This record gives sequence, structure tokens and C-alpha cells, in this order.
Amino acid sequence: MARTRKPAPPVERTGTGFRLNLQEEERDLIRRLMAELRTLLLGPNDDDRMRRLFPTAYHQQGDREMDDEYQRLMREDLVASRLVGLGVIDECLGAGKNSVALTEAQLLAFVQALNGVRLVLGTMLDVSEEHDLDEIDDDHPLVGEYHLYAFLSWVLDWCIRALQTPGSVA
Amino acid sequence: MNAITNRNMATAPAPIVVDRPDQDETVLPDTPWIVLVWNDPINLMSYVTWVFQKVFGYSLEKATELMLDVHQKGRAVVSNGTREKAELDVFRLHEHGLWATMQRDGS
Repeated sequence: MARTRKPAPPVERTGTGFRLNLQEEERDLIRRLMAELRTLLLGPNDDDRMRRLFPTAYHQQGDREMDDEYQRLMREDLVASRLVGLGVIDECLGAGKNSVALTEAQLLAFVQALNGVRLVLGTMLDVSEEHDLDEIDDDHPLVGEYHLYAFLSWVLDWCIRALQTPGSVA
Repeated sequence: MNAITNRNMATAPAPIVVDRPDQDETVLPDTPWIVLVWNDPINLMSYVTWVFQKVFGYSLEKATELMLDVHQKGRAVVSNGTREKAELDVFRLHEHGLWATMQRDGS
């Protein structure tokens, strides 16, 4: 898990909140992915790439009607929740320089959005439990997407570490 | 928090038999519901642990134990209560992208 991409962790806790130590181009990349997630969320409901964003709630055979009702009532709220988070974080990531100060609420929005993108990307790549980036050949047609997935996982993992560092108000 | 005791419950048909003529309405009593989280290859172990802490206020130890249950046994019961409470818990887990479902306890 320990990767030495750069000396400073991508996310760290500071005295007053959190700091995102990502280069502008990395933040731009994440923003583009988040914009794509937003487009997807606003698109047709039956897009299979989104199936992990809207799981079944009532999974037992006889509970189909209750699940239909859950999906009907909650899907809109789930979409709204994700859109709000995407809006919050897009503004933060757009601010220049090589590091960005985030409040806890902003980092939480970032975490939700990052994981949303990972869920879509992971679904598209059909990643398995044994998924290992090292086994993806450089000439694999989706090698870029696999690296993107690994990058997002790395950033997300550091977000969680920062949130779990003592001093957390969460 | 109970660990999973009946490993077949996901596939077993749900018997909903309400036959109590002594009551005016055939309403299920306050059957407790359980919320399950299922293993999936996308969500990070650290992330799942943190979500359990955040959504349920569990300690790091308890959250880690539940996460490992999910990871190793394929699923774990993470909360229980009335149908309304279970549904809210499921919603909050879905908000965080976890693969959560609910069912009547014992079914």
C-alpha cells in the first residue's frame, strides 16, 4: 500500500482543518471525472454504469414491491445528495495553487464524490477482489482507466486516514 | 450485534404468513429488521470501516470488526430496528456507496 509518489501525503490534517496537496493538473483531472459523474447522475436512470450507486434495498424475493417503493422515493434523494456534494467540492478544487485548504464538510463532500467516481469506474472495469494494477499490461486498452482507478483509490485512502487522525470532530 | 448465523438467508424465500383471524387487520407485528452490508470488490476496507464509524458512531474497533466480517464472511449485520430505522440506515449507507440491504430479522 505504501507508495512513494510524492513526499507530502495527498491529504492531511492541519490545525484548522485539512489540506489537499494535489497539483493543479491532478485536481483538474478529478474535477473532470466529477463533472462526468454529474452528467451521468442527471442522465437516464437505467444506465448500467450507475448500478452500484443505487443498490437494491430490499433484496428478498417477496420484498420486490417494497424495493420498488424505496427506489421510487429514495433515488431522487440519493441523486440530490451526490449533486450537492459534487457542487461543494468542485468549487474548492477550482481554487489555484498546489494545495487547497478544506473544512471537514468539504473533505466529506470530496470523499463522497471520489468514491462515487470509483464506483462507476470500478463497475465499468468490472474489478474483482483480486484486482491488481501490476497485472494490467501497458498495452491493455483500458490501462489509463485502471491507473485512474488506482490513483483515486490512493487519494481516497489518504482522505480516510486524515479523517481518522485524532482531532477529528466527525 | 449478532454475527450471521444463518448463511442461507439470502436465498431462502421470505415466508410472510399472516393468519391471525382474531385481529381486525393483518398487520405484521413490530418485526425487527436487520441491515446487512455485503462484500464488494470496489469499496476500500479503510473506507468501509470509516463509514461504519461515521454513520453509526461505532468505535474504530467495532467498525473494523464489522468490516472484517463483511470482507471475510461476505456480509455482516450492521444495525437493526424498526423498518423505518432500517430503511434510513440503508439510505445512509447507499449515500456512501456501500452495498446495503435490509430484511426481517430471522427471515
